[in-house]
Amino acid sequence: MGYSLLYSAQTLANKSTIPPDRTDLDAGTVASVVITGISVVFIGLILLIICVTVYGKIFEALNKRSAEKAKAKLEASAAKKAEPAPAKPAVPEAPVVESGIDGETVAVIMAAISAMSAASGKKMVLKSVKTAKPQRSAWSAAGIMENTRPF
Amino acid sequence: MSIINSFLDTMTALINESGFAGFFVDGGWKSIVMILVSFLFMYLAIAKGFEPLLLLPISFGMLLTNLPGAGLYHPDYWNYMEGVKEVSGTVNDHYIDYQQILQHGGLLDILYMGVKLQIYPPLIFLGIGAMTDFGPLIASPRSFLMGAAAQGGIFFTFIGAAVMGLSAADCASIAIIGGADGPTSIYVSSKLLTVNSSNNVGTIALAAYTYMALVPIIQPPIMKLLTTKKERSVVMGQLRQVSRLEKLIFPVLVTLIIALMIPSAAPLVGMLMFGNLLKESGVCDRLVKTAQNELMNIITIFLGVSVGATTQADKVLSIDFAKVMVLGVVAFSLGTACGVLLGKLMYVLTKGKVNPLIGSAGVSAVPMAARISQKVGQEEVPTNYLLMHAMGPNVAGVIGSAVAAGVLLAIVK
Repeated sequence: MGYSLLYSAQTLANKSTIPPDRTDLDAGTVASVVITGISVVFIGLILLIICVTVYGKIFEALNKRSAEKAKAKLEASAAKKAEPAPAKPAVPEAPVVESGIDGETVAVIMAAISAMSAASGKKMVLKSVKTAKPQRSAWSAAGIMENTRPF
Repeated sequence: MSIINSFLDTMTALINESGFAGFFVDGGWKSIVMILVSFLFMYLAIAKGFEPLLLLPISFGMLLTNLPGAGLYHPDYWNYMEGVKEVSGTVNDHYIDYQQILQHGGLLDILYMGVKLQIYPPLIFLGIGAMTDFGPLIASPRSFLMGAAAQGGIFFTFIGAAVMGLSAADCASIAIIGGADGPTSIYVSSKLLTVNSSNNVGTIALAAYTYMALVPIIQPPIMKLLTTKKERSVVMGQLRQVSRLEKLIFPVLVTLIIALMIPSAAPLVGMLMFGNLLKESGVCDRLVKTAQNELMNIITIFLGVSVGATTQADKVLSIDFAKVMVLGVVAFSLGTACGVLLGKLMYVLTKGKVNPLIGSAGVSAVPMAARISQKVGQEEVPTNYLLMHAMGPNVAGVIGSAVAAGVLLAIVK
């Protein structure tokens, strides 16, 4: 039915084309322009309403289903996790700290690691804190970087 | 003595050839008046902030085109030649000699080709599409109805223009001002208006952009007049979340339906939706940025200055321009009224769930018209946020006015 309406509007438009320079527009012509114009605009946009509503409904249903699935999965995995938890108490071992490194430095490193692990969602553990062995000086490191950059 | 004579002769010749002399020839006073009019529009753009991004280039184009002797724009090059036989053998009654324009045209003639060949308005629509979020419209498709109703202003103004005895091309070009969409108005008028028309693209664009700037003044009284306090106080619920896939399908769907239904609307709607697909795809960041910024700005400058160039004295200093200005405000008001009235109908049908104020946003001045709905709504209930609800009819209005333009172009030809 939509198509036949469209077709009639289109033929009406084709039949009643008005040359741009025509000045003596009679009431009938003007009325046909107004009626054709308004109805074609409405038909076009109503067609869009129908399409958008239909696919909106489809997507809403799909989203609901996937949301329910995800929820069910989440609940299942939560239940799985909840069981073995009491069997293995999670007591992290204290990190091995080399003598000569004060507690404040260790605290700062641990804070940085726990901030990062919270952000990435992974659980990280600080196992040991050691002094680094002397390495290349900043200048020689820069020289090596410069020479190896093309590769 | 001969040296003095030749000096005086040269000086006289220079003075006669200068632009100043052009002001004193027959009809030269009109150029002075037009330059003063261009100052007025510059003032409105700079001091009053009337759509400065377009009104300032338009007014400067107006100044440049009215400088005698500068030859930046030649209106006579753009006259249609009738009965010209093309190479293919078809006889063209709307023939423009582009060879002549390319050979002898001034800077603004060359830039104006982008208007006449219908290049700039669709490219502006590309940018608008890349900036528009159709989410509110997808979430509430009934907004399309208000976007369609507000186009009523276009067609009712057509009646007014016909009553005034204007030509069909003039009627359609003036009526489309009611769509409150500058590029669409330029698109339709550049396609329809001929040398015999009383108006030209420049005057239509001037009226369209002036009234778009006046939307905050024109709309609120009409909105308040047509609605009750109770209707204006309706608080609308939250819109549903729209998924990415829905936003991706929308531009393709609209292009297919509208372009197949009204092929003459395809350039505007097609580019609008192409811009939107680029944005929603999320994989063409560079193209989106260019469409939204650089391309849009370049086209705006070209469009403004060349459209301004068409505003020549005999078209602006005429009773017909006064008609355009009067009919333009009628078109805007009727569009607003039609949108609000449909909003009222939806208020009744949904048993008070739709605030009729969002209907006025159906005229496509984005996002100004939606902001007005928000503002008028907040005057009744300060905590009412109608903006997102009004954006639905607002972007539907852009599609609606492009469709209306397509219909007018299909009828008047």
